[in-house]
Amino acid sequence: MLTRSHAPVGQRLLCPRCGATLHRNMDRSVVHTAALSLTGLLLFIPSASLPLLEFSLFSFGAESTLMNGVESLFAAGYIWLASLVLFCSVLAPLGKFLLLAFISWGSGWSRMAKPVARALRWYHHLQEWGMLDVYMLGILVALVKMSDLGKMSVEPGLYCFVAMMVVSSAATVSFDAETVWARLARHARAGDSGAADTELPG
Amino acid sequence: MKRLARGLAEGFWTCLGCRQLVSVAPGTRSCLCPRCGARMHGRVEASLMLTWALIITSALLLIPANILPVMTVIYLGSGDPSTIIGGALELYHSGLWGIALIVFVASIAVPVMKLVGLVMLCLIVQLRLDVPPRQAMRIYRVVNAIGRWSLLDLFMISILVALVDMGAIAEVEAGPGSTAFATVVLVTMLAVRAFDPRLIWDVYESRFTAATAETDKNHHREYG
Repeated sequence: MLTRSHAPVGQRLLCPRCGATLHRNMDRSVVHTAALSLTGLLLFIPSASLPLLEFSLFSFGAESTLMNGVESLFAAGYIWLASLVLFCSVLAPLGKFLLLAFISWGSGWSRMAKPVARALRWYHHLQEWGMLDVYMLGILVALVKMSDLGKMSVEPGLYCFVAMMVVSSAATVSFDAETVWARLARHARAGDSGAADTELPG
Repeated sequence: MKRLARGLAEGFWTCLGCRQLVSVAPGTRSCLCPRCGARMHGRVEASLMLTWALIITSALLLIPANILPVMTVIYLGSGDPSTIIGGALELYHSGLWGIALIVFVASIAVPVMKLVGLVMLCLIVQLRLDVPPRQAMRIYRVVNAIGRWSLLDLFMISILVALVDMGAIAEVEAGPGSTAFATVVLVTMLAVRAFDPRLIWDVYESRFTAATAETDKNHHREYG
């Protein structure tokens, strides 16, 4: 077992036994994450409200937004499938942005330590369920697949969606839980030295 | 060769939530992580059994997921339901082999690879096979990373259902296979989470200890 250690800024530590990345310390991780998650939240508004794709056939046309696919699946009785799609493509990414924004904002105050710790745990669970990139590929496949049936066109919502996807991956990459834990520990020590943690030497 | 001390034997547990090493009193079965508050175990309890159960569930669910139609495209009143493989083949026949490959990989190759990988991992731990642990860890990481991409087809269906809805002229309907397929994806993702990768190292460790004991026995007769 390795004792906990921090990599120098801008480098990464690898586990000598299994080769996993232990710690990847990045310059200004918290600030970047805060900025990126706020950008993501702002981009979420147009991506969810504007139509992503438009399909037209003869004189008929239909638009697709992030939500109405879920709605039609619900209406058709596929409740289980609809909730999975809703969770993975809307709720989980939104929750991720909110949690990241909260974590990077709250880790600056020592009295926020408890809620931030809980938010970090939720983020850890939620992380793998945000599937904006998979959804994006789904849109592309749908675009190509239906193009011989009718006329498909890209709507402004899709550009916001792509930007949100890029921001989401960037936020995931820039976020480093160890930095936040170190910040919390530093604040706890500065705040009151009486609250002894089971912090290990290392 | 210098051996790294095993955390479990030294009374240290790693929190799977925040990777904090915590020193635990002997005899503790589970506790809350002092740093992030997640429940901790020395090893995830009944990890192997739970993983096997979820693997078998998803293997059984793969049958209806591949036999039942996932989506029906109705064009001018006539339409044929297509299965997952059917959808990929259709794309291939209409010349879009790039997209066909993406759909094939995401919705057929990935679930199968994931199941095969999980079965291999469980067998390695259960039968204590002599597999280099680094290779086993690589399987674990690949299985972990590819899991989410199999939802691709379901997202596509959800987009098409909303997009192509023009009554008698053209319509896309979801089929019952999609529910089965969604469950397969969910169950395999849970199976990967249920598997405790530390078990791989336990197997390696026990083999290593056995091997050192053997050489020791040969060197000093009094050891055995």
